[in-house]
Amino acid sequence: MKLHIVNRSPASSRVYGQALSAMGPDDRLLLIEDGVQGALPQLVRYYEDIPGRLYALREDLEARGLLGHCDASVQVVDVDGFVQLTEEAEQTLSWY
Amino acid sequence: MASTEIYRYLSVPEGNIGLDPEGYLVDLGQWSSTVAEALAEEEGMTLEAEHWEVLEVLREFYARYQMAPAMRPLVKAVGRELGPDKGRSIHLMRLFPGSPAKLAARLAGLPKPTNCL
Amino acid sequence: MSHDNDMPDGELLVILRHGPHGSSWLREGLDVALVAAAFGRRVSLLFMGDGVLALLAGQGTGALGQKGTAPTLEMLEMYDIETLWVEAEALARFGLDEHELMLAPQALTAEAIAHAVETHPRVLTF
Repeated sequence: MKLHIVNRSPASSRVYGQALSAMGPDDRLLLIEDGVQGALPQLVRYYEDIPGRLYALREDLEARGLLGHCDASVQVVDVDGFVQLTEEAEQTLSWY
Repeated sequence: MASTEIYRYLSVPEGNIGLDPEGYLVDLGQWSSTVAEALAEEEGMTLEAEHWEVLEVLREFYARYQMAPAMRPLVKAVGRELGPDKGRSIHLMRLFPGSPAKLAARLAGLPKPTNCL
Repeated sequence: MSHDNDMPDGELLVILRHGPHGSSWLREGLDVALVAAAFGRRVSLLFMGDGVLALLAGQGTGALGQKGTAPTLEMLEMYDIETLWVEAEALARFGLDEHELMLAPQALTAEAIAHAVETHPRVLTF
């Protein structure tokens, strides 16, 4: 399992598509920084092909006032959860 | 990457040639066979035909790819141009002892190989 | 840093997602690939997104005389970097045909890209 990290919004960048292309069937995707916009119900459809494997960083959601706006399908993790995801992954890939 | 800082000068009949702290030419255009011989002499080496043909391969490599090669591509380039017997690291180690890619690039008037640690 | 030759696939996949001249990402990615290859690692390259533009023939130096990437791309074979892939979807988006690109890369579908990422022990994105 590899952990993919996306820090750009799917509303303004194609980087999400590159990450999705590269993802294997067990890989996970974590949204950070502006990438957390992808956790909004209106934008989460970009990630509909990876049900149950989409995560968003709580601190970045909170900083943007988006925490209460997250789609229910997104798993919100804090920094400790981020570290744990990293430890569980054989490798981390950043898409920026 | 060629350094722009002149650390010392190499004296040859044509004049003084600026060298960077590692002994590479600061102005690559100042290279000549005389300069190569003077650099080799500092290393206690005398350039023979077998050295010159390798330096020639290096200069062609640089003209084509704009980079000085690390050891593996140097071996490959020498093998292609001069034949498989010479395209061997042991041959290059014998001609340019120590670190052949760096020493030969220096004598050929090339910048230091960037991807060769 | 020697290793056994019993592993058929590449050890390092470098994904290049930026075109020439706009940033230094392309050059930095190529530098990493060259260093790894100089140390005997089997390196694969994937040109993805804007990165496919790096493969257009006829590129020159930048307006300020920045070094072009074409000579470095031509040099890859001297470093035995011969597994070269390009994202098929990006080619379509730019209206390019894989046959008009330098180095004759193989076009990969999204599925094949996922497989390449899966099978390389190390993957670096630039």
